[in-house]
Amino acid sequence: MSRAEPGLSDNWGRWSAWRAQHKVAMISSWQRVVARPGATWLTWLVLAISLALPSATLLTLDSVRQVTHALGGAPQVSVLLHIEAELSDALALQRRVDAWPEVAKAVLIDREQALAEFTENSGFKDLVDTLAYNPLPYTLLVKPVEGSDITVVRQLSAQLEADASAARVIVDAQWIERLEQLLHLGSRWVEGLGGAMILGAILVVANTLRLSIDACREEIIVVRLLGGSDAFARRPFLYAGLWYGVGGGIVAAVLVWGFGLWLSGPLNALLLLYDQPAQPLWLDPQYLIALLFGAATLGWLASWWVTKRFLSRLDSA
Amino acid sequence: MIEFDRVSRRFADRDALRNLSLTIPTGEMAFLTGHSGAGKSTLLRLLLLLDRPTGGEIRIQGDRTSQIMGRAVAPYRRRFGIVFQEHQLLFDRTVYDNVALPLEIAGFSPRDTARRVRAALDKVGLLARERAYPASLSGGEQQRVGIARAVVARPEFLVADEPTGNLDPRLSLEIMSLFEAFNQVGVTVLVATHDMSLISRFRHRVITLESGHLAEAEVPL
Repeated sequence: MSRAEPGLSDNWGRWSAWRAQHKVAMISSWQRVVARPGATWLTWLVLAISLALPSATLLTLDSVRQVTHALGGAPQVSVLLHIEAELSDALALQRRVDAWPEVAKAVLIDREQALAEFTENSGFKDLVDTLAYNPLPYTLLVKPVEGSDITVVRQLSAQLEADASAARVIVDAQWIERLEQLLHLGSRWVEGLGGAMILGAILVVANTLRLSIDACREEIIVVRLLGGSDAFARRPFLYAGLWYGVGGGIVAAVLVWGFGLWLSGPLNALLLLYDQPAQPLWLDPQYLIALLFGAATLGWLASWWVTKRFLSRLDSA
Repeated sequence: MIEFDRVSRRFADRDALRNLSLTIPTGEMAFLTGHSGAGKSTLLRLLLLLDRPTGGEIRIQGDRTSQIMGRAVAPYRRRFGIVFQEHQLLFDRTVYDNVALPLEIAGFSPRDTARRVRAALDKVGLLARERAYPASLSGGEQQRVGIARAVVARPEFLVADEPTGNLDPRLSLEIMSLFEAFNQVGVTVLVATHDMSLISRFRHRVITLESGHLAEAEVPL
């Protein structure tokens, strides 16, 4: 009787053997995962909730941030000149400011024109007529370049304040700044919470796998005795981890989608109030792929960790 | 050829093997016997690299096993067919799948696997039970499934640890005759057993261990 090597008897090569082993591990691990529907659904749900909660919150924050960007895209700076400033001073300032790189446009509002408009719009014509002089100064409306954030606008306003001809600089962006800070805080909070929840998810998958590995203890021992490599012994469990991850990812996507649907009514109403176009709170495919891929990776990592520990404990026993 | 060259295995409280030297030539069938605790299990564990000697060297076909580490251990074990007293069958798989396991590990094609599994089952007389689960088989049948699994990949060495421990004399004789049949086609066979009356019915070398060393090596004429 001669010793047989795989691949010698027919055209069955290393690559085919490897593929066949993976196929068997994939199918058998899936059969094991679905053989215990209760435990499997529990694992999927825990994983899904751990992933869906931070995802949905981030999604909401993203939508709100879009609104603030739309609104805060042009936080205008108004510069009121000294009352005694002449038109030539105002034009000189306009030219100077217009040349600054962070300024998109500087519009000068003529003080006579402003008074005329005020008189017409306010209905205080009689009162205005009693004034001995025009109380309104020349006003320069400075629009920063597109995409400037609040720190740029703050710098711009400080630069303007330093100018001798400027009496007062008004930035009407404080509420946006506050909102951005709140959103920033929210993001941090979600990131911290999300990290903790993802760690929890890994532990849950790891624990489920630990139990199923303990149940297969004999099998792993026998496989190793028969000359199965560690990779071979681990493979079904790595696939099981993958199935837990993918399943959890799919359930998470459904949860986030449902959550988005539930939120989209009030959110679109809010957007409407800010004259923003309504937008579906939808998972774009890229995000969906990231969620699935992330979940699968989590499941795989958890089982990699558990099997590694199990095999090294077996070796030291 | 299996060579034990002054092999010792010392545990914290006792010496399981002491300066043991023995050679089993290729193609031989030998019985390994001795009281429990004499070192039979330790010897087999060292041979299968489930444990390492604290002294000496084990060589297989001239290769030193102390050089076989890590990833090389699994391919090394595939050179052995192993039969356990407790069968070590997987009860959630059919007889066929149990016997096919070593071939699956070694990466045989499904066609080749089917041919070899059926040949092995035929040899142990269980071809008709390939779809059965081990739990539905008798103790003797389970042991024969274990033997089919051990020989299906046509190993160089067949190692059995108390393969007849739980079987009645008639079944034990049957099992030993199977080992003898494999030996006759060239497989080196080493059977650990304490069943002296069974051994006496075969004309093979008997290696007796006594508190960790060789008591006597008797070769019947």
